[in-house]
Amino acid sequence: MVKSDPIEERLRSLMLASLEGDGAAYRALLSDLGRHLRPYFARRLSAAHASHAEDLVQETLLAVHSRRMTYDRTRPFTAWLHAIAHHKFVDHVRRHAIRPTVQLDDDAPVFASDDSAHAADRRDVEAVLGTVPDRTADLIRQTRIEGASIAEAAARHGMTETAAKVSIHRGLKSLMARFAGGEK
Amino acid sequence: MTDDLIARLSTDLQPVPPRALERRLCLALAIGLVATLLVGPLVLDLLVGRPFGGAWGSSMFWGKLAYTIGLGGLGLVAVPALSRPDRRLVWPLLAAGALVLLALGAGTMGWMQADWAMPVLMGGTALVCPWLIILTAAPLLGMLLGTMRRFAPASPTLAGLAAGLLAGGFGAAAYAFYCGETSMMFMAVWYSLGIALTALIGAIIGRVMLRW
Repeated sequence: MVKSDPIEERLRSLMLASLEGDGAAYRALLSDLGRHLRPYFARRLSAAHASHAEDLVQETLLAVHSRRMTYDRTRPFTAWLHAIAHHKFVDHVRRHAIRPTVQLDDDAPVFASDDSAHAADRRDVEAVLGTVPDRTADLIRQTRIEGASIAEAAARHGMTETAAKVSIHRGLKSLMARFAGGEK
Repeated sequence: MTDDLIARLSTDLQPVPPRALERRLCLALAIGLVATLLVGPLVLDLLVGRPFGGAWGSSMFWGKLAYTIGLGGLGLVAVPALSRPDRRLVWPLLAAGALVLLALGAGTMGWMQADWAMPVLMGGTALVCPWLIILTAAPLLGMLLGTMRRFAPASPTLAGLAAGLLAGGFGAAAYAFYCGETSMMFMAVWYSLGIALTALIGAIIGRVMLRW
């Protein structure tokens, strides 16, 4: 089952090349792992401890590096990596006395999600917002994406709440006209 | 920052030969066994005053050898698997427990046939036997644990326990050459105790030393 997984195939071949001493493959492997590990850890930490995710990514990459001789070439790579990530998570949580907020049945593996998809979404949003005036784009970003209230966003731009509301409304209307095939 | 780390780790990458973990273990086992075998002539013979081949010619000598090497062999099977993060192999540890029970059962039968005579259980060296087995096993255990620090055991305690069983079994085998006891019950109780204590020491040290 794991064998036919394309992620497993790709990472395993990178790992095998890395064990032969191929530095480029190793660099590709580590940055790939970083991208998968970041959401894996972020999902397991409450918002208050989100800053630990990056530490955990680094600790895990270091462990992958220093313990790479414990990888058995005949076994699935993702299972090995998952075991290391899990070990590092448990160890970190214990050491920092963090209460993990993950539900017990959330056993989604490391490779369930990938940061790069979100990155692509964010790029699309930025491209779309680029088509309205800067101030309007910023108001929309603050209120609709980052979750600020209209009053806060208006205050940041030194405008009244009503003016901000009108600006956001116009901006969204023009975006809808352009990308959603007109107002519904 | 993570990118810096990745760049740092991927320059000067050293290749890892196939079965590197097993090779290191074999090396540690070889050096440790030599050290443990040296405890016999240097400490047991010269300091404790036990001549080589005390139970030579008794069939129980071979019984002791088979029993202790069997226990050590079960530890040897468990150690490489328990040294990895993604494996948890406990049947050899359970089998070792079963083997001890079997020996205790057979020993009790022999003791019963000897009409529960105290010398059959205690021999002449019962109270030093477990300690001398630990002493004989110590160099091998130290060598194994030192090597295993570079591994990534899913459970450091279990990995230390398996290393202790391996060292205890082989250490007791080396000790058997300098032990004059010839009763089954003696072996089942005091040899097992020595090996079990070595395994326990391995588990306690491993719990701290094999963390990663």
